[in-house]
Amino acid sequence: MSNEELESQLSAMFDNELPAPECELLARRLARDEQLRSRWGHYAAIGACIRGEPGVRLETPLASKVSAAIKQETAALAPPAPAGRRHGFFNPWVTSLAGLGSAAAVAALAILWMRGQGPAVTAQSGPAPKSVVVATQIQAPAARAAQPAATAQLDPQTRAPPRQAHEPDSYVVPAAAAQGPVLVQPTELANYIVAHSAYSGPLMRRNALSALVGGDSAVPQPTAQPVSATVVTGK
Amino acid sequence: MTAVRAVREPVLWLVMTLASVATFAADTPQQWLDRMNAALTTRNYDGVFSHWQSGRLETLRIVHRVLDGAVTERLESLDGSGRQFVRDGAQLTCYLPDQHTVLVEKAPASLLPTGLPKFDAAMAAYYQLDSPGTMLQMGQKAQVITVTPRDGYRYGYRLWIQRATGMPLKTELLDTAGNVIEQVVFSSLSMRHHIADAEFKPQLVTTGFQWLRDDGGPPAASAAVAENWNNSPLPPGFQLTAQTAQMMPGVAEPVTHLVFSDGVATVSVFIQTMVFRNSPDQAGADVTPVGSSSAFASVQSGHKYVALGEVPPATVRMIVLGLMQSAGQAMGLPRVPK
Repeated sequence: MSNEELESQLSAMFDNELPAPECELLARRLARDEQLRSRWGHYAAIGACIRGEPGVRLETPLASKVSAAIKQETAALAPPAPAGRRHGFFNPWVTSLAGLGSAAAVAALAILWMRGQGPAVTAQSGPAPKSVVVATQIQAPAARAAQPAATAQLDPQTRAPPRQAHEPDSYVVPAAAAQGPVLVQPTELANYIVAHSAYSGPLMRRNALSALVGGDSAVPQPTAQPVSATVVTGK
Repeated sequence: MTAVRAVREPVLWLVMTLASVATFAADTPQQWLDRMNAALTTRNYDGVFSHWQSGRLETLRIVHRVLDGAVTERLESLDGSGRQFVRDGAQLTCYLPDQHTVLVEKAPASLLPTGLPKFDAAMAAYYQLDSPGTMLQMGQKAQVITVTPRDGYRYGYRLWIQRATGMPLKTELLDTAGNVIEQVVFSSLSMRHHIADAEFKPQLVTTGFQWLRDDGGPPAASAAVAENWNNSPLPPGFQLTAQTAQMMPGVAEPVTHLVFSDGVATVSVFIQTMVFRNSPDQAGADVTPVGSSSAFASVQSGHKYVALGEVPPATVRMIVLGLMQSAGQAMGLPRVPK
């Protein structure tokens, strides 16, 4: 495989657009190819810089290159929307968080902020099927319309990023509309995951935490702050 | 650091390393797995690994230390977000530079890990252990161990265990068809006899960050754990290994937490009763909540059951149906096969 093809694959993987089997192959190559890993790190750093993520630390030689490149090509370098954008689906989660108590909100934030995806569990009216689509990863037009204005507008207090220009105004949920009420709220599920991880074996515990820590740096800021949570210090 | 500790740590490190080297000859796959679990939980190590799951790859660094029986661990994302987890005993601190926030969570005492999965003789009825041979992984000699389930109620594993240390240099989680669904591969790993406290400090500036704390709920009433869930039909090989009740955020009643295990895989079931006393029955639904785990939920006769674990969806579903049947609350539900 040529360097150009590798570059293209790496870029597609970073944008979450590479098919799973190819991802696996590339992941194996990443594991043994230090140069490729370094390239991957550059993609991550550039992406983070473009998104203006606070707290991003860049290695010195790379930092200047990235900054210069971004100044010159901000528009051109804007990352394409990954498949199944997460800006849309996050709002229902935030809406559900806003109505909960402080402890629940904190526990949920601990998980939800670190995850790029996370469906709720909903009830079915009929017998339990073999496989059920329950993820509300994208928001229905009706649900979006029902959102208070605060969820669609930038709230300076939340430091929420503005919506991307290419983000669609409406989304389609294939099956969720036909399903029953939510059986397990996302916040509740988050607490259960934390409690369960304490009993997992060391391998699975590490994997679960890795999935949480890794998350997706493109996850948007929540529009609701946990105002009722205990603020320990404002360092 | 005391003088005693200064001497003890390097000696202990040397003894453990020599012990792991000395026992190569008679090793069975089961002994390799035992050694891996011991290494993961008792040794000091510092490594960088890639975590692949569902087409997403993340690079992370882990620093793990056991000092006087106390475990301290730092897990850091090296890709973009810079998020970090620091676990110190029961306390988990999550640094989220991309959110300008630090979250501090403290697990209730009842939820502290009670032990490791036990790869005992009974496990052979449900998993086949093999040792296909030795391969180079990360330039090191690694013993390849496969854990293949004998039925569709559990996942399989492929492990590349470093012969010198017992550490898993590479691990794969396999679904019931043998496809890789999660993979962890170390690109660097060092076993260290001493790791300073400073290495568990987050390498970021938290000035201006919002700090949030959740200390968990008050202890649950002991009566909530009195119910007997021992006799429910379960998937082959699984048994009840722990039962607690605890207050959880956002829930007004103690939540019963049951833990089932076949020695390798673990499933948690959370049961609420009070708030669902007058709720109509609702058939359950499957979902994959995080990582490679499965979840299933159902409401029956005023009890809400939520099960999740690193097993196929069929397993969590069967456990919940079995519990409902055992409680005499599964009217109208299909009988759970034994």
